[in-house]
Amino acid sequence: MSAGRILVIDDDPQIRRTMRTTLTAHGYEVGDARTGEEGLEKLRSEAYDLVLLDVNMHGMGGLETCRLIRSSSDIAIIMLTVSNSERDKVDALDAGADDYVTKPFSTPELLARIRATLRRLPHPPDHADLKQLDLRGVGIDLPSRQVSVRGRSSRLTAKEFDLLSYLLARPNKTITHRELLQAVWGPDYGDELEYLRVFINRLRKKIEPDPSKPQFLVTDAWAGYRFQLPQ
Amino acid sequence: MLALFLRASSGGSKPIDFGMYIRQAIRLSGRIIAALGLVAAITFFFSRIAHINETTAGFVYLVAILLIATAGGLIESTIASVVALLCFNYFFLPPIGTFTVADPRNWVALFAFLATSLISSQLSARAKRRTKDAIDRQNEIERLYSLSRALLLRGTERPIAKQIVQQIAQAFEFRAVALYERSSGEIYRAGFDDMPEIDNELKETVVRSELLQDENKGLIITPVRLGRQPIGSLAIRGASLSDAALQSLLNLVAIWLERALTEEAVNRAEVARRSEELKSTLLDAIAHEFKTPLTSIKAVTTDLLSEPASQLAVHQRELISIADEGADRLSTLVTEAIQLARIEGGKFQLNRGVHLPSSLIFGALKQMKSLTDGRAINLSIVDDLPPVWVDAELIRMVIAHLIDNALKYSPPAAPILIGARGAEKSVIIYVSDQGSGITEEEKARIFDKFYRGTKETHLRGTGMGLAIAREIIRAHGEEIWVTSKLGQGSEFSFSLPLASRGAGA
Repeated sequence: MSAGRILVIDDDPQIRRTMRTTLTAHGYEVGDARTGEEGLEKLRSEAYDLVLLDVNMHGMGGLETCRLIRSSSDIAIIMLTVSNSERDKVDALDAGADDYVTKPFSTPELLARIRATLRRLPHPPDHADLKQLDLRGVGIDLPSRQVSVRGRSSRLTAKEFDLLSYLLARPNKTITHRELLQAVWGPDYGDELEYLRVFINRLRKKIEPDPSKPQFLVTDAWAGYRFQLPQ
Repeated sequence: MLALFLRASSGGSKPIDFGMYIRQAIRLSGRIIAALGLVAAITFFFSRIAHINETTAGFVYLVAILLIATAGGLIESTIASVVALLCFNYFFLPPIGTFTVADPRNWVALFAFLATSLISSQLSARAKRRTKDAIDRQNEIERLYSLSRALLLRGTERPIAKQIVQQIAQAFEFRAVALYERSSGEIYRAGFDDMPEIDNELKETVVRSELLQDENKGLIITPVRLGRQPIGSLAIRGASLSDAALQSLLNLVAIWLERALTEEAVNRAEVARRSEELKSTLLDAIAHEFKTPLTSIKAVTTDLLSEPASQLAVHQRELISIADEGADRLSTLVTEAIQLARIEGGKFQLNRGVHLPSSLIFGALKQMKSLTDGRAINLSIVDDLPPVWVDAELIRMVIAHLIDNALKYSPPAAPILIGARGAEKSVIIYVSDQGSGITEEEKARIFDKFYRGTKETHLRGTGMGLAIAREIIRAHGEEIWVTSKLGQGSEFSFSLPLASRGAGA
């Protein structure tokens, strides 16, 4: 049984060849695409667990491809960037990616990122009373990963879902950045505050009636985040 | 020889000026003869043909003098007055035919006649002069106007200073115009005469900042000032300009010269900006082109090296390690070359925020995990340091470069100390090693691009790290420095501005 199905979208043939060889050797099934358009096409016709997406591609760029994938799918996405600058990383996460890796990367690092991204919360919340919530017009249905705010519903990506579930299972309690990162992304993480910033923002856009004035997903400055249950 | 020629050529222009005076003198004597002719005709007509009494004769003469004064000038009418007086006395005042005056009352008439004719000549001449002045002023204003219009509608050819002189020569019909532009040191000329002999005078006029006038040659050399600052000088030959017109002309030249300089500066800045943009695009393309094959190499080598030890023969592992390190080095080179080019281009913008010194140090250490593994790193961060106002990404880069430097230039067993302490109005972060130290001579050059320690045989660095660090710290308005003792080690320190200071700015 394979560890997962990965689609590599990169316009460089050498990279596609390298990725196919190494990832296959490590137990993944690999498909590839030369352009964003071709990648979108493959995602429609074949089932994948994760997309490795190059940012700098001719034609439709990686960021645009990422947004388009995200608009119809909650598949895991890791972006491959050349630039190491913080803005480019945040851009990638903002476009809907779950993680990014800077080129050139080492294969063990990439494999670790893939594992972290495909990783699910080891103990999903099973409190019956938290599975379906209706909070002042905000509906959260954990089993189907559906949320709805004032009748407008959207689906959470796996990582968003894990993050929300983790906070929701410990309501009204501040969870530190480190604890959140290690619980959701894995034990190798802990300092990547920008991940949390971007993911919490993405969640707020999906579940908060007014994302600029969050009432559920509250930031505790310098400490962490908490899920505030209305009294 | 050349001087002789120059003198000859400048002398050669004199007869032309002289000729102008002769023509003027001829015209003047013509008018005098005509005036005298009129007086003679009146005398002849009224003494020989139509006899009239002396009173009437006096009035007729006065009318004639007024006519002469109106048509001619002061000289003609004065001469005509005196001649008319003599004729009046000789032909009309008894005893006729002599210059004697019998009746003392006629002396009064004679003097009244002289006074009237002289005063009317004066008045008339003054009125004429004023009219002429008014017409001259009007001409000057028209020329100044046409000059400023021509300058406004000027073409796009450069330099603008050249167009300015051509337009001046054309509008005022000067024989020669030369404009010295101080900032460029260029002299621009227009007109029939190149005036090559006045270069030094033009330059001296700017320095002395006073007007130079040579009546003989009809030459004016005057400084051009903007405010009180002399920005050039202007030489004009063949000019008869009023002071006011000259001043207006100079103001016009000053404004246009200044405008030209500003425009050229703006143009240069635009060209620089475009070339910076091109450079940046090019660098991005290069970064991408280099890093793509590096990514393949790196993915392969790291994958092979992660295999269990039994899978590879020792020499195979060694060879793959060499390829892996080569790829790392190439990647660092490309990254640093691009960083340096960006930072040196001055185009990067500081993305400042409030950060704790400790988080900057930990952030940098995290980035360098792979390099610091197995090395002893000691930290000495003073508690409760105030936050700083910096671009965290760039400062982490500086710390990383300093740590990298310390790792390279000290023995693997020697620990590295990274610390932070407060200072007056800043926080100082330092990285010290126990390497061989730096000589005084090297200290001066160590932050230069591509400089590497002279004693080093294992040239692992790119020679760009410290140059990048210095540029980043300078962009923050702060300092970076090194202290060192030979044989004991070096300490690199830099200061960072406090957040409380930055927030007020």
